[in-house]
Order: sequence, then C-alpha cells, then structure tokens
Amino acid sequence: MSVLDIAKGMGVTLGHLFKKPVTVQYPEQRAQVAARFRGRHHLLRHPDTGLEKCIGCSLCAAACPAYAIYVEAAENDPANPVSAGERYASIYEINMLRCIFCGFCEEACPTGAVVLGHEFELADFRYQDFVYGKEDMIVGVVGGRWQRREAAAKGADVRVGLEAPHRAELEGVDH
Amino acid sequence: MKVTVNDVEVDLAPGTSAIDAVFAAGYDVPYFCSQEYMSPIGACRMCLAKVGAPRKDREGNWIMDEETGERKIFAFPALLATCTTALMEGMVIDTLSEDVKHAQNGMIEFTLINHPLDCPVCDKGGACELQDRSYEYGSGRSRFEFMKRHQEKHHPLSDLITLDRERCIHCKRCVRYFEEVPGDEVLDFIERGGHTYIGTIEDGLPSNFSGNITDICPVGALLDATSRFRGRNWEYDHTPTTSLDDASGSATVVDARTGRIERIKAGLHPEVNKSWIDDGMRFGHEYVGDPDRITRPLLRKDGELVAVSWEEASAFVAERLAEFSGKDVGIAIRADATLEEGVAALALAEHVGTGQVDHAPRYGPSVVPGSPATLQDLAVADAIFVVGDVTEEVPAVDLRIKDALKGVAPPPLLPHGVPIADLRLKERMPRRTEILAVAAPYRVDLMRYAGTTAIYPVGGEAALLKGLAALAEAKDDDGPAAAAGQSGATAADRSALGMDVHTAQAFVDRLRKAKKAVIVVGGFVLADQAAADAAQRLATLVGARTMVLGPMANSHGLELLQVVPSHARYDYPSMVDGGAKALVLSNLDPAADPAVAERLGALRLLVVHEMFMTATARLAHVVLPAKSVYEKDGTTVNLEGRFLPVRAAPVDAGEAVDLTGLVRELGLALGQRLEARSVRSARRAMRKTLGIDLAELTDLGEFVKVPRRRKGVTVAARPPSAGRALRVPTMVRQEYLARNPHLLAALGGPALRLHPDDAAARGLHAGDEVSVRVDGVPRRLRVEPTRAVPPGVVTVPALPDAPAGPATVDLDGVVVERRRLEVA
Repeated sequence: MSVLDIAKGMGVTLGHLFKKPVTVQYPEQRAQVAARFRGRHHLLRHPDTGLEKCIGCSLCAAACPAYAIYVEAAENDPANPVSAGERYASIYEINMLRCIFCGFCEEACPTGAVVLGHEFELADFRYQDFVYGKEDMIVGVVGGRWQRREAAAKGADVRVGLEAPHRAELEGVDH
Repeated sequence: MKVTVNDVEVDLAPGTSAIDAVFAAGYDVPYFCSQEYMSPIGACRMCLAKVGAPRKDREGNWIMDEETGERKIFAFPALLATCTTALMEGMVIDTLSEDVKHAQNGMIEFTLINHPLDCPVCDKGGACELQDRSYEYGSGRSRFEFMKRHQEKHHPLSDLITLDRERCIHCKRCVRYFEEVPGDEVLDFIERGGHTYIGTIEDGLPSNFSGNITDICPVGALLDATSRFRGRNWEYDHTPTTSLDDASGSATVVDARTGRIERIKAGLHPEVNKSWIDDGMRFGHEYVGDPDRITRPLLRKDGELVAVSWEEASAFVAERLAEFSGKDVGIAIRADATLEEGVAALALAEHVGTGQVDHAPRYGPSVVPGSPATLQDLAVADAIFVVGDVTEEVPAVDLRIKDALKGVAPPPLLPHGVPIADLRLKERMPRRTEILAVAAPYRVDLMRYAGTTAIYPVGGEAALLKGLAALAEAKDDDGPAAAAGQSGATAADRSALGMDVHTAQAFVDRLRKAKKAVIVVGGFVLADQAAADAAQRLATLVGARTMVLGPMANSHGLELLQVVPSHARYDYPSMVDGGAKALVLSNLDPAADPAVAERLGALRLLVVHEMFMTATARLAHVVLPAKSVYEKDGTTVNLEGRFLPVRAAPVDAGEAVDLTGLVRELGLALGQRLEARSVRSARRAMRKTLGIDLAELTDLGEFVKVPRRRKGVTVAARPPSAGRALRVPTMVRQEYLARNPHLLAALGGPALRLHPDDAAARGLHAGDEVSVRVDGVPRRLRVEPTRAVPPGVVTVPALPDAPAGPATVDLDGVVVERRRLEVA
C-alpha cells in the first residue's frame, strides 16, 4: 500500500465531509418512503358510496404465506349495508407480528379492499395489541395502535413519522 | 365388453356408460349433469367425446379395414355425450383430440355466458365443479360482450335452502333428484331457453330430504342456509364420520371452522346411505354451538350450582359414591352413546358394584333380529312390509325402500367407485308399488309409494301382526276366504288389520312367494313385546328377513355390549322411579316429568352428564359437561349390525368429556387406573371381552361377529298405556330442536297433530301454541291439524326419555299459550 493509496482513501472521506448528509433525524424529521413501500394494511371504502370494499371473501387469508389473516363474513342487511353486495367481513384481523409484508393479500384481493400502505411504526408492548382489527385498519385511521393510544392520552393528533408520494391504489389514504 | 379409451383398453360389463369407461381407464372428462345414483340425461353437454365403433355387414361379419386388416372403426358423425352413450363391443373413445378440446372450450364458454363471476362471495367457491372445470377445460376467455342474465340472487327456496338463480347452469340435478330419490316432485324448470329457472309452486320444499340438493348442485345456486357465509370451503376442517342422529349409521362429513360446526354434508357409503342424508341430520347441528352450553363442571354449593374444576367435581363424586352400597347406585346412558362409552358405563358400574346400569330409550324386545336384513337386502327386496313410520324413524331406510321400488339393484362399483352414469336409471321410472305394504296407526309419508296400506288402531300392532301371521299360516290352496274363516276373521279383524282380509291375504301371499322379502318394524312394534313376537313369527312363517329400527343410533351396539341391568326391575324407568338412591345419568332428562323430578330432588346423589341445563341438570348435585355426538371418537353399530367409526370434529367444547373421559376423571380422583378411561382403553377392554379390534375400522365399517351373551333381561312390566294418543318418532332431535334456529323456523316447532275435526271441536287452529300433558309430562307444542291422523288420535313427538309408542294426552287440559297470528 503506497502513500498515494492512503491519500486517495482519505480524499474520499474528505469529499464526504463537504456533501449533504443522508442521515434522517428520525423521529423529529420524517422518513421519506417510496410510493410502493409496503407497510401497514389499509381497508378501503368506495369513495362515492362510503361502503367498505371488503366483501369478506377470505382470499387474502388464503394467499397469506404467514397465516396472519383471519376473516369471518356475514350477510349484509339490505337496508343498512356495510359493503356493496350480499356479504361483508364481520371480523377482519391481521396479526402484525406474523405478517411479513409481502403484499400477497393485496394481490389476491378481488375488490382492492386491502392495500399495504406506508406506515411502519407498529411497535407495541403486548402480543394481543398486534392483532389489528377492522377498527385499526379501516381507511381514515392514522397510525399504529400505540401511536393512537399515545395521541389520545396526550390529546394530540397522531403524528406519523413518514412522508410518501401518493399511490393510486391507496384510495382515500393520505399522509 | 372391450373398449378402447384413448390408448387404454378396458373390459367392462355391457350396459356401462361411455363416461364410466373413460374414468375406469384413468382418464378424465368434464361433466356437470351426471350424478352418482341418478339417471344420466346429457343436459350439460360437457362430457363430449369422439366416439367410434366397428360395424358388421349384412352377413354379420365385422367390416375390416383393408389397410390394417383390423376391424374398421366408424366414427359417429358428431361428438357424443358420453354419459348417455352405452358401450358397444370394440368401441373407441377419444377424449384428447383437438376436436374434443375445441368442443369443451366452447361448452365452458357457453355455460359461463350467463354465470355471474361472483366466486369471491359464493359459498361454493373453492369446491365448485364449474370453477374447477373452467380452470381445467376452459380457454380462459369469453367472446360474450353483452349483459349477463340478471335474476334473483337470494331466493329462499325454503328456510333451509337458498337459491341464487343467476348461478344456475340448468344441469337439472336438483329437479331429477327430487323425482328420482325421495320421490317428492317439489322442484321443476320454469320457462324455457335462456329464461329457464328452477322454482317451486308450493311454499318451501316439502320434502324430508331437501338438503341433498345443496351437495349435488355443481355450482353455488343451491346453498345450505345454516352455513351461509360462514366460511370458505378451504377453511373448513372436514371430518368424515358416522352420524349418531339415527340408527342408519349414515356417512356424513362434519365441516368445522375455528372450533364451531358450520355445516354437515352427506358422506358416501355405497351400502348404507349412498350419498343422501335427511334434513334432520343435515341441518340439526346448530345446538352444538349454543351459547348456553355447559362447558365446565358445576357443583352444588349452598344450594347453587357453581362452576368448579374437574378435580373438585370428580373428587366430590368419588367421595359421595363411596358412601353408597354399590347396588343402590344407578347408571343410565342415552342410546346414542358410542360402544366405547358403553364400556365406560359398564366399567363404572363394575367399579361401583351395581347391576343397575342401562341405556335408554330401550324397549323390552331385542333390536338384534335373528335373521337380520341389511340395507342392501332392502334395496333389492321383492316384497317389503313396513310397520311404523320409517321415514321419520330412520330416513335412510325410506330411501332404500324407494330404491327397491325402482327394481334397479345397487350398481356394482367400478375401478373409480360408484358409476357416474348408471344407464339403467331413467327419469320418471315406474315404481313397483305393489311390492310394498305399509302399516301404521296414522297415514305416513311412505304410504304414497305403497301398493298396500293399512291404518290400524293405536296400540294394535300385536293384533295386526298376529292376524297376518294367521293368514300366513293358512295353506296356499285354501284361498283367502278359507284362510279368513280358519283364523276366525270377522269385522273386528278387519279393523285390527286396517285393511280388508283379501288385501291382507294377497300381500301375505306375496311375502311368502317372494325370494327376498323383508319385514321392517319400528318403535311402535318394539313398544309391545307381543307385537315384536308376532312380527318375528310372521317373518319366520313367510321366510322374510327382518329389519328392526332401534330407537336411537347405537341401540343395536349397546344391546350387543349388554349395557343392560342385571335384572328387569333394575331398568332405567325403575331406577329413576326410586329404585336407585344415587344416580349417574348421561344425556337423559327424566325430570321433565314433574313426578319423577320430585323423586330425583330427594336423591342423596344425582350426577348429571349433560350439554345443557335440563330439568334434571337443575336438580343435580354435580353437572358434568358432556360432549355432543359430533365431538366423540368411538364406534357405533347401525341397525344392520355394521360397526362404523365415529370421529370427533374439531369443536371447541370447553372442558366437556364423553363417558370415557368421565371415568378417567373419576379414576384420577380415586387414584386408580380404571378400565375404559379412554377410547383406547375401552377398545382394549372390548378386544379382551368381545374379541374385536375397533381401532382398525375403515370408513365403510364392517360386520363383526359378536358372541351373543344375552342376559335375557327385558324391561320391568308396566301397565300398557291405554291412551289413544301416540308418541311418534321424528327425524329431528326434539330435545335440541329449540336450539336449532333454522330447523325450528322450517318446522315451526314440535307438532301436536290431530284430525281437523277434533281440532275444530276443541277450538284449536293450525299454528296455535299449546301446553298439554303427555303421560303427565307438560309439553309445549304447535297444533297441526291434518287428515293424516285418524279421528280421535293425537300424535306428539317422541323424546329420548319418552320413546315412540302409545301415550295418554290430556286434551281436556289443553291450554292455548299463544294463538296463531291471524292475517287480516
């Protein structure tokens, strides 16, 4: 190794000293994620009617390689429907500890009801808190369970530490 | 008959259909309309194949191909539906060529033109023949650019079956099923062409076997309403088992999901139920998931039953049982307990040292006939005499009798199983009604198909059978008049026979001449020892085999196992009547009778093994949670004497146990390893005493020769009921009917049936809910006036604690609880 090589190496180091740092001061600073980032699931609604897109067909559960999804269906009351059509999901649960965020559920969904969003801040304290139900994933809900608990305790809005470009599939979800 | 399918040569019997030849050769061909045990009609046009056959010239010689020197194959001008094509010698069937593929693609595309693509919400999705066949044989594209046909999506054909008219592909399986199998023509095609839909002009589906159409529908058009949207087909745990709902031992498949039973489908047992089950068996499962179910042991503390651990409950029972002298303890189990549970009851009795052990309901006469008929015997019988209401008692027997009426023997099994298209079966076949005689104290459903019917007076079974035996005894050449004279037949005999003497004589002659005659007797005959003896005598005289319909699923097996008391005065009714000072009851509810309840309340120890808080459980010192019939592992013996496996479905039943589990817990409390402490242990005991190994039993079961050790115990003599009322068998389990919402809605509740004139005389209307005392037991029933019941007779549904037979109904004490709502 010659002195020249050492100088070259030091040069690279020196060059970086004057570049803009890539470090993100998370959580004070928001993380930038890609449009196709696969984070927490959202259960979407038809924007025009407000009805849930999910019809409780369980195909996401069938496609799930981690067996993380559990669906129970029920019949819609025609006078007061939950979803379009005859059937809706009365129970829709995803175990976020089991989920490997592969996105197969999104691919299997015939109605585009379940879409992987951008949220990744899902840390929590107890096992049972990782089983997300419909009320945790339905469109309009912002943040993971712990984030929402904290926000409620403080009486503040949920602050998600990320920014992402809009993705067409995430109809009605915005960050 | 040698035929060639693609490149495989198969040798099959003449009369076999081409579609079966294809499957026998190991090839596949799509089909929607053919169905095992039903006539092939070629409606769906999916099983098309290129078929050719050699021809003979005028001299009767095969026309030879000059080039190859072999028989020349003449192709049929168009593709043939293989299901309606009978094999010909030397036939060549091609299912793989481009022509056939093209036709299959086209037919799938055509069938899908009007079929909605709502598979994600369809209950058939994942188990749908159309889905599978479209995937395997479709081209995956459609050229149909117009609106699909739109029809009713959610039409309740009955309370139990939902019809989606858009999904129907007009295979006609359901329509043919109703006409061919149960013979109830309740469904038909309406309109024509693309507008065709299936419908019924009557209200609902008045058939006892309507649920089977949900099994055979190739698409999601006909669906089981009890399992609507409950789960997808791939999510269910399928448990093939044997039903314990009646004595037929019908094969069923119990589908459970996350610890709940969601639906029951028919299983295939070619020698028992074929692939059909009745509606009681199919839809009567909802009680298992009832929220009121007892899931933990309950112990009476300070007058209240409180939930305790099994250790505490079993320690209490063990301690208290030790206080009694053995013979004061009575043990009774319900007659749908498995053989293993029977062994457990016997082991418990032996441990306690009591002879008071019994199964109930149990009649005095044996349910194991000397010359037993199998269900296959019934299906090929040339004369059948039925006493009782088999349709309600053991519905599978009803269907096998209807098989015999068609005169088509059960098909022999082919390499691929039951023939898909049995060409001997036709639509609207003539039925040989003349071979069937049905006698009952009221008009029963099977009489529609009986050439000879007899309605005899209530409790008149013995007189009827003795009268017929007398006719059978008379010599052939004497003629009916002489026979009548010889037996002293008078007008009184006519009423006893329920038919005129000549008709009776004619049928007795038919029975005697028949080579394969079968006499079927049910609970009404078993209720009277004299009648049972007379039936046996009649069978011997005419050389008929006998089929005895036991009162519950395993009556036959528990009798073989001798779960009977050591003396007639120790039988179950005597036990609860004060014969025992301590009682262990499994799934029985004698306290429904207030008089018995009073005595049971005074007992020093009452242990009740139950699923629900029955009147008896409320009196108990300890209530132990019981498994339902779907949650047990074990063995049952059907009315033929066939040993069949019962398998446990994965159902969440809390801490419930079967009787072997009860023995295990008791043994743990005593610190002893009791016999029959598990199903395996019970089977070990049976291997020792009976010389049979039940662990190896296959799904189809087998006949096991059991050494007869009949103790000769019957039941204690009691004065016969002089009532003009009848407790009648029902295909639904009355004890759980209130907890089966769908079945309850369909039936409207347990029925009090009486003649319309009698109802009018008492001011009762159809649909009124009344309270009435049946042999002193208060029952809440729904009034159903019907001309099927003769004037003066009243029928009420039987219960396990009050089996079929004559009874007294206090009609003067009827209280109308709720009038039927009058529609203005």
